Amino acid sequence: MIYGDQKTGILVQGATGKQGEFHIGLMNEYARKVGGRGVVAGVTPGKGGQQVHGVTVYNTVKEAMHEHDIGAAVIFVPAGAAADAIMEEADAGIGTIVCITEHIPVHDTMKAIAYARIHGASVIGPNCPGLLSPGEVKMGIMPAQLYSRGSVGVISRSGTLTYEVVDELTRAGIGQSTVVGIGGDPVIGQTFVDVLARFEEDPQTKAVVLIGEVGGNLEEEGANATDLPIVAYIAGKSAPPDKRMGHAGAIVEGGEGDARSKIARLQKNGVPVASRVSEIPAMVKELFCGC
Amino acid sequence: MKLREYEAKKVLKDAGIPVPAGFLIRAADELAPHLDALGDAIVVKAQVDVGGRGKAGGILMADRTTAVATARDLFSREIKGFPVKEVLAEQRLDIRKEYYLSITVDRSAKQPLILFSDAGGVEIETTAQENPGAIRRVRALPLLRDLPPFMLRELAGKAPKEVMPVINKLYRVFADRDALLAEINPLVVTPQGVFAADAKIIVDDNALARQGIAVNRDLSEREREAEKHGFSYVELGGTIGVIGNGAGLTMSTLDLIEYYGGKAANFLDVGGGAESERVKNAVRLVASVPSVNVIVVNLLGGITKCDEVAKGIIAAGISQKVIVRLAGTNEAEGRRLLSENGYEMLDTMDLVVKKAVEVAA
Repeated sequence: MIYGDQKTGILVQGATGKQGEFHIGLMNEYARKVGGRGVVAGVTPGKGGQQVHGVTVYNTVKEAMHEHDIGAAVIFVPAGAAADAIMEEADAGIGTIVCITEHIPVHDTMKAIAYARIHGASVIGPNCPGLLSPGEVKMGIMPAQLYSRGSVGVISRSGTLTYEVVDELTRAGIGQSTVVGIGGDPVIGQTFVDVLARFEEDPQTKAVVLIGEVGGNLEEEGANATDLPIVAYIAGKSAPPDKRMGHAGAIVEGGEGDARSKIARLQKNGVPVASRVSEIPAMVKELFCGC
Repeated sequence: MKLREYEAKKVLKDAGIPVPAGFLIRAADELAPHLDALGDAIVVKAQVDVGGRGKAGGILMADRTTAVATARDLFSREIKGFPVKEVLAEQRLDIRKEYYLSITVDRSAKQPLILFSDAGGVEIETTAQENPGAIRRVRALPLLRDLPPFMLRELAGKAPKEVMPVINKLYRVFADRDALLAEINPLVVTPQGVFAADAKIIVDDNALARQGIAVNRDLSEREREAEKHGFSYVELGGTIGVIGNGAGLTMSTLDLIEYYGGKAANFLDVGGGAESERVKNAVRLVASVPSVNVIVVNLLGGITKCDEVAKGIIAAGISQKVIVRLAGTNEAEGRRLLSENGYEMLDTMDLVVKKAVEVAA
């Protein structure tokens, strides 16, 4: 596992909102199942003292940190407050910050990530489903019933497409070490490079499925920087130029970041690229048997 | 959203960056009172939301005596299919040297990237290919309000020192206006000083509200309608309508259509928590595109309730065939509702798409 395990205490920022409350319930249901600590504290300014699914809510992150051993945070606050939440958590000393929130202006994200970097915190997202290490910990909104424990790491810019891939892997008997949704925005904290570096240090992870999409060149950058065996998939082969395909970051602009050139660059570096999601499990099996 | 040239120049002017004297007109006759202020050499530029307007006849040179007639000519044209409704009439500058200056978001560094090149007036992509040494690059810590002077010196190189405050002012515009791109090309040197001869600003769609921009002009009418419902929507021109949840899954559904030899008409991402009302609106919106003769619905997710989705599809009551793949909670109930109402539900993405391509053909 990377970023956290059963022992990681999680703080939820935006604990009393609809999303926060719903997912505290699901995260702690998962924690009970795997014997983990799960969500130990919530934060919503002005709502200190309330309880959400038995979890105490605090007014500030520092107050929560004073009462609990917290290693990670998950953010569900609205877009206008999310950058502030990231900075508050980094400032309080939380090392892993998962930001689920979508539609944060890019300039806010750049500032918050720069601030977090100064404090030594890693930001996952924004605009992401979070991460899940089967049998260990769930930080975010991924549907845990699709996952199974194993040795394949998954990194993805997408949410539901990740679930689709995980579902295919599980059905094919291929378990996962950690599945990380890094987010669909143009600027995100942990990129393919960062997560792959963590997977390299993780003895459980033997191979990685990399799920990218149009926009930027971070997939190629990541694949070039690791020795781990990789199977890649790139969504958006039929995406027209200059159109944002649902994700703020999924855009072919200035003739760059299109799927075909990404795929060509990955293949040139020896990375097998699946043309359909359903081909991924068989290609992962090939990596392992070497045939 | 991309600002028009006159809007971008107004932003620069407000930030203290010199721009040529200019006036926006909506009819040729509006130009006459401004001729004194524009001088003898004049340029008229069509304000249309397309790139490459210069080559398409959207920028015309004139002098004091011909300016009104030239503007009239420009108003009668169509530039790449767009009628000319607004024209920017500007003084023509006495250009001695042209530079390129832009600020973008560097996804890899997660910081603003400032580019300065001695080869102005040329597309930066062309310079990057033909003369990469001419481009100087600097990345800045986004927490800084101003660029440190050493960065300005590094960028400007041997260019006149007047360009340095312009670079810093553009950096402030980039941050203050939530820009994804702020570009001055060319930045020109004249005997009267430096000027932004052309300007391009793209504002972050996620910041339009706080920038006071009410309507995103980059979207078509149907795309705007979709936005009101909270959908991401893109038109693609084919015959197969596509509804998915999540951008990646919806994109890969489009790719699968192409793989099986079909052509997608559109892309609609309903987003999370698809209740029946949302699904109904999504199906109706996609079905309203005349070229759509079959619709693929591909929804997956732990928290998506299949019975809700089924109710939405049935309530939409559209004439085109709808082929459904659903995975999530209450799957059996969703399947029962759909089959009772004559809809086809298949188990995998590959199966629904293959079927839709057959129907579309």
